[in-house]
Amino acid sequence: MSNRAKYIFLMPGVIWILLFTLFPLVYSFGLSLTNYRLGRNPKYIDFENYAEILGVGEEKPDQKAISTASFSAFLFIGSTAATLIFGTFVAWVFNHNLPFLRQMRAIITMPLFAAPIALGWLGVVIFNEQAGPINNILQGVGLPRINWFIEPIPARFAVMFTDVWQWTPFVFIIVLAAMQAIPDDLYESAQLDTKSNWTLFRWITFPMIAPALGTVMLLRMVESLKIIDIPYSLTRGGPGSVTQTYVYYAYEKGLVGSFQLGEAAALAYLLVVVAIVVSSIYFYRVRERFE
Amino acid sequence: MRVKVSFLSCLIVLLVGVFSVSAQDTFFGKTAEELFPIPGVAANELEQTLAFEALLAANVPDGRELGEGKTMTFGVLGQGSRGGISGTIYFWRNAFEAATGATLDIVEIPYNQLGTTIPADFLTGQYTYDAFIGAAWQYGDWISNGWIQPVDQWIGDERFTHWTPEDTAPAFRALLQWGGQTYGTQMDGDAQLFYYRHDVLNDPEWQAAYEAEVGEPMPYPMETWQDLLAIAGFFNGKDWNGDGDPDDGISLHLAPGGQGHFHYATLAASFAVTPADGDDPRAVSKYDNVFWFDPDDMTPLINEPGHVLALEFLQELAATGSEAQAGWQLGEAWDNFLGGNAIATFSWGDVGSLSQNEERSTIKGNLGASAILCSSEWYDRETGEFVTDAENPNCVGNTTGGSWHPTMSSFTENAELTYFFMSMIANPSINFYNATTGWQGIDPCCTYQLYQPRGSATSEDYTAVGFNADDMERYINAYGSNVYDKPTSVTYLRIPGTLEYIQETLDIRLSEAMTGQSTAQEALDATAEDWMEITDDLDADSQLEIYQQAIGYGG
Repeated sequence: MSNRAKYIFLMPGVIWILLFTLFPLVYSFGLSLTNYRLGRNPKYIDFENYAEILGVGEEKPDQKAISTASFSAFLFIGSTAATLIFGTFVAWVFNHNLPFLRQMRAIITMPLFAAPIALGWLGVVIFNEQAGPINNILQGVGLPRINWFIEPIPARFAVMFTDVWQWTPFVFIIVLAAMQAIPDDLYESAQLDTKSNWTLFRWITFPMIAPALGTVMLLRMVESLKIIDIPYSLTRGGPGSVTQTYVYYAYEKGLVGSFQLGEAAALAYLLVVVAIVVSSIYFYRVRERFE
Repeated sequence: MRVKVSFLSCLIVLLVGVFSVSAQDTFFGKTAEELFPIPGVAANELEQTLAFEALLAANVPDGRELGEGKTMTFGVLGQGSRGGISGTIYFWRNAFEAATGATLDIVEIPYNQLGTTIPADFLTGQYTYDAFIGAAWQYGDWISNGWIQPVDQWIGDERFTHWTPEDTAPAFRALLQWGGQTYGTQMDGDAQLFYYRHDVLNDPEWQAAYEAEVGEPMPYPMETWQDLLAIAGFFNGKDWNGDGDPDDGISLHLAPGGQGHFHYATLAASFAVTPADGDDPRAVSKYDNVFWFDPDDMTPLINEPGHVLALEFLQELAATGSEAQAGWQLGEAWDNFLGGNAIATFSWGDVGSLSQNEERSTIKGNLGASAILCSSEWYDRETGEFVTDAENPNCVGNTTGGSWHPTMSSFTENAELTYFFMSMIANPSINFYNATTGWQGIDPCCTYQLYQPRGSATSEDYTAVGFNADDMERYINAYGSNVYDKPTSVTYLRIPGTLEYIQETLDIRLSEAMTGQSTAQEALDATAEDWMEITDDLDADSQLEIYQQAIGYGG
């Protein structure tokens, strides 16, 4: 292949990365160093936006950034863990020969193909305090009804459950594929020593699906940092602002009413830093584990 | 010869008859069925017939010279083709297109995107919309940025459908105007009224039960918020509608992002605003008729004692209704009242017209309505003391809400065509019809919708569209009283950043207070702090100047 052809084939990828990755990164970083509000002339203010958010120097930290970041952290940990556990469990169940598995598999994966904002709206009905099916079930089994949209803690869990509902099928599909790739003879050999399903899972299934789980975990972690659609449609960030995620806050800063794009860019950049740190730690640990 | 003359006369009469029937049966060649097809535009034949009659009565002129082959883009609060506000535009689109030969493109903008979509369109130089229907509180942003233009030059021009701002009640007319110029054409008149169950509260058995339990006669008719609290508290939790379940006292919508903050403003007005002494009780001074900011320096007044008392009162009042209210959107609170599960609510005029829709309401014939309530306790800013006077309570009206109406972009290339549509839906005949549908979310605004002596409407105008005469008597008179009889009214906040002040901060802080995450004082202190930051961000001097202009403060 001639040198010129090599460059031509590389060009689309390079252009794509320059336009849609590097340019937005550089531009938004520049923006984050200004006090730019849409419609007004921006002024360079150095790292003042970052100082205001983090409370560096004489500035008080941005309380809303902190509270929304804490809710994002709640989703980061809770939602990632829950989807991994449920998804793996469902995959394990479906890895057995049970009746109607194909039909059930199709039904179970449906939430994955729905828009998160639509699931949020569906959640409004499902979690409805007075007539929603969840409260009706709770009441039916003798438990008290829960004020999903009124009390801060249930509201946070309502957002998390809806996210888990959407993403469990994703974990399920990947993990099921990994489980089905495990050679049967491994199980057959192990079954000579034990009949315990847990032992088989712990010592054969889990190690074999760990790389797939690891990949899924990383994707889920990064994705959970970006959640905005579900709280937007399910709770509107309420009650108060307890279910506003960090990204929701950045969106409001930059694109609702005040158009404080400089500050919103700084908020977004801090999130990028967190995502890079998380994924770097993760890759470092994975490399350490598997290489 | 005589026979011939008679024959000719008959022929002429017949031709005239045929011609006149055909003129009445079509609108620019289109029949009622074509303009308002069922389904698609109208829901039933009655709606189709009444709409067509209203259209013919509007005397819409021929606009084909203005519109032939052109396309007009109209941005509107998006709630669907049969939803509030946007439904109106869809409903009359075919008629507009028939009269002008133009095409009307409708762009729906969700409520929570209003502060984003239209400003972003202008700020980025897109200029997508020829006109848009927004809320009157957005004038501060729109006019200070030069995004909308006055329409005075076309009012009264015979090339357009007749309407006049003189028909609009002064309180609503002020919301169409800025600096002496008219920017908006009439459509919706938002003010919050007080609604209650007329049948239950007039029932001697319930009145006796109240007296037996509380130890004093039921304070009915209610005059003050304190009366309402007592009555709502009594009825809350009792099965007064006989459905076997405990029912509610009050019905409110308090979810963040669901316009619940309007409840607060309506209620707080009579706790925190005092009318001016002297001949003009509406005159704005440093201490009187101010609600949002100190008109001398933009210091937020939102955490002053009158406001705190009002929010504490709202918390008490909300406790006389369903716990779920804190998560309710507008429609849920309305449906709770319309479904016969709450004794009272205070909300916009929509409740009055929706109560007559038997598909949605079980209370037709039992609707009670009055002007918004007064308070027997309020804060006097000038003396810095609370005043308690049950005999002469503090009464402050409101025009709370969006009063949704069209405004014209300064950048439109189809100004006259745009005004053609704006004037068409502002026409008294069409607007009267719109307000009676309920589902369009259009509330009474104008003298032709009010009964005498404030207006020219009659009971028959409403019974003709299927409304209950007694309900309308109470509802329409309450509406008139609300905008004409109150000594003063809470000033309308329409400065740049209104959405930030109200929706992004106050709304959220109120939700925190109403869900027990903070006390009233904490929530309002936090709001005041947020507001000071917003004012500084937006340039305090410029904000002060626009605020003074918006509330008519002369210093």
